[in-house]
Amino acid sequence: MVRLDNVGKRYGTDAEILHDVSLTLDPGGFYFLTGVSGAGKTTLLKIIYLSEPPSNGAITLFDIDASTADRTTHTAMRRRIGIVFQDFRLVDHLTVRDNVALPLRIAGASEREIRENVPELLGWIGLEGKLDYRPAQLSGGEQQRVAIARAIVRRPDLLIADEPTGNIDDEIAMLLVRIFERINRLGTTVLIATHDISFARQFTHRRYHLDRGALSIASDGDAAE
Amino acid sequence: MIGFLRLPQQLRLDLPLRRDATGRFLPWIIALMVYLAAMGGTALIWLGDTLSQWDATLASALTLQIPADASPARIDMALGALRQTKGIVSAHLLQPEETAKLLEPWLGSSVSVGDLPLPRLVDVRIDPRTAIDYLRLRQQLASIIPEAQLDSNRTWLSGVREFALRVEGVITAGVFVVAMLIVAIIVFTARIGLAIHRSVIELLHLLGAQDAYIARQFQVHALALGLRGGVIGGIAAVATVIILGPAGHLLALPVPIAAYGIFDWRLWVLLIVTGLIAGGVAMVTARITVLRQLSRMP
Repeated sequence: MVRLDNVGKRYGTDAEILHDVSLTLDPGGFYFLTGVSGAGKTTLLKIIYLSEPPSNGAITLFDIDASTADRTTHTAMRRRIGIVFQDFRLVDHLTVRDNVALPLRIAGASEREIRENVPELLGWIGLEGKLDYRPAQLSGGEQQRVAIARAIVRRPDLLIADEPTGNIDDEIAMLLVRIFERINRLGTTVLIATHDISFARQFTHRRYHLDRGALSIASDGDAAE
Repeated sequence: MIGFLRLPQQLRLDLPLRRDATGRFLPWIIALMVYLAAMGGTALIWLGDTLSQWDATLASALTLQIPADASPARIDMALGALRQTKGIVSAHLLQPEETAKLLEPWLGSSVSVGDLPLPRLVDVRIDPRTAIDYLRLRQQLASIIPEAQLDSNRTWLSGVREFALRVEGVITAGVFVVAMLIVAIIVFTARIGLAIHRSVIELLHLLGAQDAYIARQFQVHALALGLRGGVIGGIAAVATVIILGPAGHLLALPVPIAAYGIFDWRLWVLLIVTGLIAGGVAMVTARITVLRQLSRMP
């Protein structure tokens, strides 16, 4: 599904943010990416969802070498990825319905298909009464659920969430991971980045740990944690 | 009052382009450009019609000037020569009173024409479809009255035509400049839009949007703004033509502008075409500019 081989990232002449990172995400897998703030988690995620090119190394997505793929292929690959951004990145002037429908419209789905799927999905995450609300009219938790709905509406092969449990209490964070697990059971590979290492430890899923740009496979007894 | 200027909500845009300040002033700038282009086009129509009318009038007339001291017998001979020439329909010798009336705007009514050595004028009507042998006619008239001058108006008319062509060229160049200004303004506006909405554009890219999808948002917006500008400019142009109708009579223009007013179908064709061109130019320019800029983004 995803393979990174000796990936490094550096902006200009600044210090290297990622150093010699190699990682494999298998189809249908569920992964946590842990690390303190500034460890390079968001940069690594950006490389995986093709927002940033690596400075060196190779990235293979869906069995395609993304480093050498053209713009059109990148677009096709991005359509197979769902992203929940740390800051949600909802479009302010669009309603909840239109925000969630955005990936479908981009993919050329019919309005009928959108009318059928979007309200159903929003009902599934408990926002059925807020279809015509704007993001500014929602609480932080509701905005996050809209962001999740937008990420999964196209049933992506890979779902990436950047700090989805960052500003919510443990109970809701747990609920959120349960939602991701349900999506994972449908066949979607899930990668969740979090700075909360103890939270990630509560689950049996495989954990990668980033420390000052270096990636390792974490275990409960890992001193790095 | 300006509710019609708002974009229909059915035109859903993922990018909040309607909120941009540029969208508020752009239709008015395009309206001014469309107005100038429409007035330029109206002037071209008017100029073309005026020339055609002059052409039709003057091409069927000649003037023979006979020196004041020519004897009545020679004048009769000259008239006879004219009337016998193939292609000449009539030859009318203007009476001194008629000549005085023609000169009244310059000399005033108090001057007695009989006191002045004015040439006698012969108004000659010709059949424009028949070729006249002017060389032979001039030789014939010169043999009767050596100082007689036959003026076919062609030299004067060709000068006017040349001048009109230059004016048409200037107007056409003006319309072209206006079109280029619309292009420049749209390029500028599209670039500002791209800069303002960079984060949303980046988001759309990450959600799998192709460049063409994003460019379509800008081009739909630009088309709507261009058409709005076209409507405003068109209304202003119609108002100007209505106002200038009576002014044409007041200025004693040879061809009244009123004749080319709101009932002239060419004015409406001109306004519709100018408005559509403004919208089309805005749309195509926005698309090309945005696609070019997006190709430089990751």
